[in-house]
Amino acid sequence: MLDFLQAVLDGMLFGATYALIGIGFTLVFGVMHKINMAYAAASIGGAYCGLLILQVMAGASPWLVFLCAFASGGLIGYLVYLACFHFIPLSSPLATLMSTVGMLLLIDEIIVHATEGRALGYPAVFDDVMLRAGEFSLRGDLLLVFGVSVLCMAVLLFLLYKTRLGLATRAVSQQPVAAQLCGIRVTRVNAVTFVITGLLGGIAGAMIGASVGALSPLLTVPLTVKGLIVTVIGGLGSIPGAIVAGLLVGAFENAFQVLRGVTERDLYVMLLLFAFLIFRPGGLFAPKGGGG
Amino acid sequence: MKTLATAVAAALAAMALGLPSDVTAQERTVKITGFGAKSGVIRSFGINSEAAMLAAAEEINKAGGVKLADGSKAKIAVEFLDDRCNAEEGISVIRRIYGTDAIVAVGPTCSNVAEPLFGILQKKVDDKGDSGLQMPVFTDVAIKGGLAKISEWAFRNVPSEFIMYSSLYYWLKTQYPDAKTVYGGVEEDFAHSRALWYSVMKDRAQANGYTIVGESKWLLNDANFATQVREMKKVNADILSIAAHPFTTCGLLKEMKRQGYKPKVLVGLTSSSTSETLQGCAKDVEGMIIPTSFAPVNKEAKFAADQTAKYKGAADLHSMAAWENMFILKQVMESEKISGDKSQVQADRRKIRDGLAKLKTTQGLLGVSKRTADREADKPYLFVHAKGGEWKVLHNPL
Repeated sequence: MLDFLQAVLDGMLFGATYALIGIGFTLVFGVMHKINMAYAAASIGGAYCGLLILQVMAGASPWLVFLCAFASGGLIGYLVYLACFHFIPLSSPLATLMSTVGMLLLIDEIIVHATEGRALGYPAVFDDVMLRAGEFSLRGDLLLVFGVSVLCMAVLLFLLYKTRLGLATRAVSQQPVAAQLCGIRVTRVNAVTFVITGLLGGIAGAMIGASVGALSPLLTVPLTVKGLIVTVIGGLGSIPGAIVAGLLVGAFENAFQVLRGVTERDLYVMLLLFAFLIFRPGGLFAPKGGGG
Repeated sequence: MKTLATAVAAALAAMALGLPSDVTAQERTVKITGFGAKSGVIRSFGINSEAAMLAAAEEINKAGGVKLADGSKAKIAVEFLDDRCNAEEGISVIRRIYGTDAIVAVGPTCSNVAEPLFGILQKKVDDKGDSGLQMPVFTDVAIKGGLAKISEWAFRNVPSEFIMYSSLYYWLKTQYPDAKTVYGGVEEDFAHSRALWYSVMKDRAQANGYTIVGESKWLLNDANFATQVREMKKVNADILSIAAHPFTTCGLLKEMKRQGYKPKVLVGLTSSSTSETLQGCAKDVEGMIIPTSFAPVNKEAKFAADQTAKYKGAADLHSMAAWENMFILKQVMESEKISGDKSQVQADRRKIRDGLAKLKTTQGLLGVSKRTADREADKPYLFVHAKGGEWKVLHNPL
C-alpha cells in the first residue's frame, strides 16, 4: 500500500509539469476562446533555445538557461500568434485550430532537424534533493516545478485582476466587439496574451527539461495531449483548475501504471477525460465569465 | 589540324558505338540507394548511414571505382531516401527504388520497417508464382534477430545480438562471480527494445546461470521513471539490463541517481553505445557496459570514422555497417561482373543477389565477418563501457 501511495505521490508531483503546460493552454482559451495546439511544442522550443546560452557561455548557470528559455518562449509565442492567429480569420475556429496543429508539426520538425532528433542534456536544479516525509520521499526539483506553477498562477491572476492590461484582456475575452468599441485594441491584447503565455511556456519547457534532465522532440506530442486533458479537466479557461487537474492527471497516470501496467496506463487517463466530458463538461473549475 | 579532327571524330564514333574508353568510363555510374530514417526522433541514424555510404563511395571512386563486365570502370553514385521509420513509407520507398536504375538498396534503419518490407520481396528466387519485388536489400541498421530469412533477396550486415549478449553475460560471470541476479528494464513500445529484452537478454542471462528477478516497463516517450526505479531498488538485483534507447535510458539513470540506486553492473542496449547517450547523460551512464560491433580501435576503423565525419555523420555500429556494405557490394559487383548498363538493371540486381548469397565471409572494420546460411552476418564484436564521457573498449572477447 505504501508503494502505491508513493507512486501516486510521484505522479502527482510530476503532474506539476502538466499543470504548467495546462496553464498556457487555458489562458489562451480563456482570452481568445481558441485552442493553441502548438503551445507545448513552442514551450519545448523555448527550452531548447535556452540551451543556446551554453553555446556562448559554456558552464553558464542553470538559472541563466531558464532565463534565456523564458525570453525565447515569449518570442516564439509572438511568432505563433502572427503565424497562426493574426492573419487568419478568428471567426473560423477550425482555421486557427488547423494552423496551430500545423505549427506544432513545424516546430517539432525544426527541433528534429536542428538537433538531429537527439536527446540533449538539460541543466537541472535541486535534482539531487530528496525530501523525506515519514515513509515517503519527494523530489526537490518537482517541488520547485510545483512552486513555479503556483507562482505563475499568482502572477497571472494578479495580471488579470489587478492591472489595466488584465481588465482589457477580460473585456476582450467576454465581449470583443464591445471592448473594441470602448477603444481597446483587440489585436494588441491578443498578441500580448500570446507573449505572456509564451513567456510562461518558456518557463514550463525549461522546468520540464530540468525535471526530466534532458530535452527530446519526443516530449512535444505527449505534453500537448496531457496539456489538453488538463485544460478540459481543470475547466476551460480556469488557471487554478489547470494546476489541480495537472496534479490529478499525474497521480491518476501513476496509479494506473501500478495497477494495470504501463501499456494500459494512458487508456485510463483517456477514460478519465471522457468521464469529465460526459459528466462534468465544464471541468473542475469552470469559470463563469470565461476569463481567468 | 586534320589529325586533330580525325581524333575527335574517332572519339565521338567510339562514344556513339558504346565502346569502352577512358572518357566513357569516367561517365559511367552504378547507383546504390540507401534508405532509412532521416526525419523524426531517430533522424540521426539515417544521417549517419548516408554519411558513411557517401564517404565509402568517395573512397571507392577515388581508387578508380567499380570494374564492370566489359572491363571498364564505373563510379558509384549514392542516393539516400527517407522512410521516416514508418513501415508504409518504407514499402513505398523500396517500390520507388525498384522503379529506378539502382542496382541494390541499403537499409532500412528500423526493424519495424524491415520486417514488412522484406515481406514484399520475392520469397524464393526463381519462384514464378511469386510476384514479390526482385530487389536486393542489404541492411545496415535494423537489428532485430532473424529478419533476413523472410526473403532470399534480403541480406543483413548487422551484428547478432544473441551472440553478443550471450558472450557478455558469460564474461560478466567471470568478472563478477558473486553476481547472481538480473533485473530488466524495457521500452515496451519499441520493437528492437522488446525483442532485445524478451528474446535475447532474458534468455541469454538465464542460459549463463543468472536468475531473472523482475522487469520494469516504460514507453519510448516517457519522462517519469520514479515508479520503475522504486521497483528496481526494492529488488536490488546484481545486474540491471536496460533495453531502451538513449532518451529513456538517460531518464531512468537520472532517476536512479536521485533515488540512490546503483546496481553492481549496468548493461545497455547496443544502439545506446552512441554519442547521443553521452550528450544526454554522460555522468549518469558512467560504467554502463554494451556489446558493439564497432569501435575505432584500428587504423581502418579510425579512417572510416574520420571520413564519415567529413560528411557530418557519426561512426557507430550502425553507420559503420553501411560503410562495410559499400565495400562488400563493390567486391560483389566485380566478382559477379555486373554490366552497369541501365537496360540490364534487373539482370545486375540478380547478379548482386546471387553474389551476396555466395559470400562465406566478408571483410569488416573489426575483422572478418562470417556469413550465415540465412543471409545474416556473424560479426566481430567487443564490449565498451562509458568512461570519462567516452565509450571506451572494456574487453575484446574474440
